[in-house]
Amino acid sequence: MLPFLKIMVRNLLQGPSTDPFPFAPAKTPARFRGAAVHDSEKCILCGICRHVCAAGAIQLRAAEDGSGMQFMLWHNSCVYCGMCAHYCPTGALTMSDNWHLSHLGEDKYTFSEDSFVPFGECAQCGARIQPRPNVIVEKLGGRAPDQFLLCPKCKRESLVKHASDTNLSQFREKQ
Amino acid sequence: MLKLIQKLVPRSPWIYRLNAGSCNGCDVEMATTALIPRYDVERIGCKYCGSPRHADLVLISGPLNLRVREKVLRVFNEIPHPKVTIGVGACPASGGCFREGYSLEEPVDQYIPLDVIVPGCPPRPQAIIEGVVKALDVWRKRLEEDTCCRF
Ligand code: SF4
Ligand code: SF4
Ligand code: SF4
Repeated sequence: MLPFLKIMVRNLLQGPSTDPFPFAPAKTPARFRGAAVHDSEKCILCGICRHVCAAGAIQLRAAEDGSGMQFMLWHNSCVYCGMCAHYCPTGALTMSDNWHLSHLGEDKYTFSEDSFVPFGECAQCGARIQPRPNVIVEKLGGRAPDQFLLCPKCKRESLVKHASDTNLSQFREKQ
Repeated sequence: MLKLIQKLVPRSPWIYRLNAGSCNGCDVEMATTALIPRYDVERIGCKYCGSPRHADLVLISGPLNLRVREKVLRVFNEIPHPKVTIGVGACPASGGCFREGYSLEEPVDQYIPLDVIVPGCPPRPQAIIEGVVKALDVWRKRLEEDTCCRF
């Protein structure tokens, strides 16, 4: 009798244990992995996310006019593993805690994360290169930011010029 | 009389679970949604039933692989109209992590039309409840318009 009374009093004090959803918002754990979110400002079009995605949910398609790439992440194929966000070098892909994803069957193929990422330009000759947003310049090109923004051809030329200049000055010093 | 029944019936949908070759992740979540007081889908009047002939809403999990396809379709066709189908998880919508596998024939929706999709692998119980609430709206609309399922 006594244990029962104890449980009864405890339950009366605690109130119902049922989660009030859908009549009130539900609690979401802090590290819950919901829909992936793509930030086109940070993306460098490296394609790592597409490479690691086990479910093949990510596509990178070249735009018809050649001005950039279309990033597409189909939520209906995604298995919410978070690998893409883990391996993205610039943090352009993140997993949000949004789990309100149920939708009607008609919207099946349009329910995706779409964004357009324009190509970058070589700082010297204006040729088309992968985008160089600030996040990646700070991370990889901090030592020589002006060279990091060049296309491979201009970079090679500038490196050769730099090397020949130093060689020449060293040669002159020796003489 | 029929109108009155049509008005009352979406208050107590009976749910049938159909496993089309799922990995059991989604089935566990659906069982959790139904049986554990914490989520308690019966608050919105739902009841899980054992026979496909009694069902109003169908919760489908799994990618409909070749081995179970005929059996699943036989059971699916026994469910009376106007049935509302809810695809639970990534599998019924696209194949999920089994997409382009040797045991599936795609797309899955050439066999079973999905009215509501709840993506996730598996979706959390609250998301399934949200999908059921959406399916109730679809069902209500279908009763008003007097239409069958989409196909
Ligand atoms: S979370 Fe996993 S399945 Fe989803 S897009 Fe990223 S890598 Fe692919
Ligand atoms: S989202 Fe990240 S991993 Fe994917 S292409 Fe862009 S930078 Fe690379
Ligand atoms: S969606 Fe994921 S958890 Fe659900 S049946 Fe498919 S593989 Fe399993």
